[in-house]
Amino acid sequence: MGVQFRERTLSGVGEALRESSVINLTGAVTMVIDDSPFGLDLTCSALRGFGIRVRYSCHSAAAAMEILADQPIDLIVVDCEMPTVDGYELVRWLRRSVKPPNAMTPVIMTAAHMRRSKMLEARDCGANFVVTKPFSATTLLERIVWVARDTRPFLEVGDYFGPDRRVRDTGPKGEERRAAAIRQAAFVAEQARAAAAEAAEELQ
Amino acid sequence: MSVITHARGKSRLAAMIDSAGGVSVGVALAQARENIEAMRAQAMAVVDAQIVLLEAVPKPASIEEQPGRIGEAYRAANGVIDAASPFELLDLCRAAAGLCDILDNAPSDRPFDWRIVTVHARALKLLQTLPLEQADSRAAVLDSLREVVERKSIPKPPVPDR
Repeated sequence: MGVQFRERTLSGVGEALRESSVINLTGAVTMVIDDSPFGLDLTCSALRGFGIRVRYSCHSAAAAMEILADQPIDLIVVDCEMPTVDGYELVRWLRRSVKPPNAMTPVIMTAAHMRRSKMLEARDCGANFVVTKPFSATTLLERIVWVARDTRPFLEVGDYFGPDRRVRDTGPKGEERRAAAIRQAAFVAEQARAAAAEAAEELQ
Repeated sequence: MSVITHARGKSRLAAMIDSAGGVSVGVALAQARENIEAMRAQAMAVVDAQIVLLEAVPKPASIEEQPGRIGEAYRAANGVIDAASPFELLDLCRAAAGLCDILDNAPSDRPFDWRIVTVHARALKLLQTLPLEQADSRAAVLDSLREVVERKSIPKPPVPDR
């Protein structure tokens, strides 16, 4: 009987992100924006592991705007929650006010906690992906590879300018790791259990 | 409403990711994890500092003061998740996320029960001091917080007229 060998693949982008597959991100001009010095260091450290030397690390949206106005950037990783101008506003500005190629630069947003009031903004600001924490190296790399290969056209609809949101189920597949979605699923499951228990009690 | 479609060429990022050179995904992840792990002590200091900040947010003296205080508490709880999540301190993250949920849904027209913030700050402090091996004790802390979250965030059905 032969020994079955299956190469480990990472959930999310299947064949494209085998542990043995090779990626080259060394030349990516990358910008990270986070008002938290620790958050900024952490993201830059993770990216350095992927071979990305972060060219611009900014503590505020204002600092990022100055650079984005005239320096070509290949990848942006931005925190959602920032004082004065938050991540959503920055991405909206980038999409609406900056000329190509930066207007179409892949943007990954990171959020420790997604405010319910910001969910629509997250959808409508024009980001390619919002990563809710827990933050892991795997999640971040999956999303980077995914946005690099994201071929959705950009749409201009009313106030919106960004990747086509009508395309369904094109995001990374695999185990759900978005904290908000997990909490929502747990909440729905709990409600269903409570309703079932109540119904069973009534029947008795 | 009219829709204008802008076709995109291959981005520089897309072109370079498959170009010659680079590292394997396995190596990239191992390096990234090593880099993140090197920041563990710093992260724990940040978590401690955020809990201290959370504890220090005073109870709002008036409804007008409430949004500002809630914002301060939200940012501190958010900071806990930021620093703890890369190190898989999931119970700390759950506790902080529970508080963020409550604060995000806090009423603006009536006083917010500030004991919720105090209880969460104490629970976070306790989770930081309890050894990871004491899984039962850590779970008990989370269970008691979950009760608080459920009581405060699930809208109660109206009492039917009799």
